[in-house]
Amino acid sequence: MSDGKVDRKSFLTTAAITSAGLVTGFPAILPSRAFAADTLKVGLNYEYTGVYASYAQSETRGALMAMDAWNARGGVMGGTKVETVQEDNNNNPGTAVEKARKLILVDKCPVQMGSISSAVSLSTSGACNALNVFYIASGGHADAVTGEKCEYSTFRTCHSTWMETHATGYSLVEKFGKKWYMIIPDYAFGHALQTGYHDVAKYTGINFVGEDLTPLGTTDFSPYLTKVLAAKPDLLIVLVQGDDFVNCLKQVHQYGLAGKLPVGGPQVELEAVWALPEEARVGFWGVEWYYKGASVIGNNNKLANDFIAAYRKKYGTPPTARSAFGYITMDRMLWAINQAKSTNAEKMAKALENAHFNSLFEGGGYYRGVDHQLMWPMWVASIRAKGTPHDQYDIFDVVDRREADFIEQKAAEKEKVCHFNWPT
Amino acid sequence: MAHVAPEIFNGLILGAFFAVVAIGLSLIMNLTGTINLAHGSFMTLAGYLAFAMVSAGTNWWFALAAAPILTVIVGVAVERTLIRPLYRRDPVYSLLLTFGLSLIAEEVYRLIWGTNGVPFSPPPSLQGSVSLGFTDFPAFRLFIAGALLVIIVALVVFLQRTRLGLRLRAAVQDSEMIAALGTNTQLLYMLNFGLGILIAGVAGVLAAGLLGLNPQSGNALLMPAFVTVIVGGMGSLLGAVAGGLLIGVAISVTTLFLPAFSEIVMYILMAVILLIRPRGLFGEEGIFG
Repeated sequence: MSDGKVDRKSFLTTAAITSAGLVTGFPAILPSRAFAADTLKVGLNYEYTGVYASYAQSETRGALMAMDAWNARGGVMGGTKVETVQEDNNNNPGTAVEKARKLILVDKCPVQMGSISSAVSLSTSGACNALNVFYIASGGHADAVTGEKCEYSTFRTCHSTWMETHATGYSLVEKFGKKWYMIIPDYAFGHALQTGYHDVAKYTGINFVGEDLTPLGTTDFSPYLTKVLAAKPDLLIVLVQGDDFVNCLKQVHQYGLAGKLPVGGPQVELEAVWALPEEARVGFWGVEWYYKGASVIGNNNKLANDFIAAYRKKYGTPPTARSAFGYITMDRMLWAINQAKSTNAEKMAKALENAHFNSLFEGGGYYRGVDHQLMWPMWVASIRAKGTPHDQYDIFDVVDRREADFIEQKAAEKEKVCHFNWPT
Repeated sequence: MAHVAPEIFNGLILGAFFAVVAIGLSLIMNLTGTINLAHGSFMTLAGYLAFAMVSAGTNWWFALAAAPILTVIVGVAVERTLIRPLYRRDPVYSLLLTFGLSLIAEEVYRLIWGTNGVPFSPPPSLQGSVSLGFTDFPAFRLFIAGALLVIIVALVVFLQRTRLGLRLRAAVQDSEMIAALGTNTQLLYMLNFGLGILIAGVAGVLAAGLLGLNPQSGNALLMPAFVTVIVGGMGSLLGAVAGGLLIGVAISVTTLFLPAFSEIVMYILMAVILLIRPRGLFGEEGIFG
């Protein structure tokens, strides 16, 4: 190889190294905030690279705004300023565990928040619990996070997959029919959504004419769409998220499916819809928060209005549901520290359990004691291809609101699967 | 089974993408020994440049032509300033350099165009579907199939029927000899690198219209392209085409019946072919023989 030529053996060797790099992911070059010794450090363990990078950015922005608001009020525990240490878990559950341990043991972060992927949320939750560190899963939806794999030290802000499917399932049946075809991401999140819709089917008689599990990071959805066309369902349910959602919806349009049958699902993200060409922006979806609408933020919610205005001013776009997750998570975490006057996970958990609060959404919410799931409403919306003349980003028509108590499993049911192992 | 025919057709288009990217990689690798891990980043750059032009009101067809050319200018600048000094060194140096460049490029794209993906559509004339008799097929995919075929044929003609193509092939065989015969090999290296990037640029714009466009989107096609090079056999243009098509069809058909295996089927295929024929399907000494 010294003459600069590549022989077969050396190419295979380097290709193998390259494969390993591509499979395990490249580390992101990320800014970490500098911190002083007398500050409280909050660890942000997110997917800053990979298919969920844009969501991680939105959650981080929301979290930083909440942190800045607390610092402007003097910090926590009588004057301690708050700073963040941000780590990229590369959308890899194993890497997330390593980053969680680094944040705790090296960076000395006594509390932690993240992430987008359910699989990452589950692994991070376990890693933090093993070291008795308080963790809020801001954006991983799988039921298990606050279900069979719940931890006393873990709380969750975004909705569970059960809430998402039960908020949307009945409306979708009523509006479009019972013959469904589902495209499902093949990991914890997708499986949990599939389970949720199967439960809805028990009461509504949904007939699943096709259920395809797609690997995360799928670029070509044409094989699935060909099968959808042949199955002639009443409704195509798209459960994939992130860049996979963008690829899938683009190809749904290219195959002319959008004109032939309705498309919908339990969850849509503004970041993904903004990345779609106008002609591919279709469907009827579950929405976890939106920056407009009386049923979402209320008529005179000063906190929400100030947050939305400040966010737009700072970042140039309106906040998304992910931004709201980040804001709520950081705000509640700092509130719990302030209330407990400690970063001890047990004390914080006791402070946060069942504590009602008002926030960016109408009506307020609370982290339920039985499973540590944030109980807050969901909304159902249809997508418009274009924004309004005054706001190009305003592309959802929110048509309905579903209250938390009606879409999440009852406390008695959750008690059967979620058992906290308190340290004392 | 009624889905198989359209899926084979889809697989051929996907495979043609892999083949075109693999040919670009092979061109650069065989002449200069550079394993270009930034190849996917150049594809992404071309996609973003086309997006910027169309957003500014430029015609889509003009963007399809202009964005790859602008990408070539960037690519040649990178080759002259950063990669050229490493030509006589162990290929690991250029591998590490291009690996670093791909990381930097990804962050630069994030800074300029944001972490979120951006909307990039094919022109209205290529939207909708066309009946092929056995299925309705998206018009844009048919256009891509035609465009990739033109690229491959043009490249074969260029390498086999032009003096410059002859020199490129000769340089792969023995660059010192053709330098001694009076050919400016540095110019040849630069043109060769530019040609590889031009092909990547066209593929990048087409992929942006077909799939999504985000800071990492080009890298999604890079790994299959590397596997294509190995399966097809290093140094073989025919091998790159055959390997790409084989992998594309294998992925599409596997997706139809066993979606969970669609990610690993190309690696299984690679392992089997290497066991049976370690040089790959059409691998041989030299290049494009």
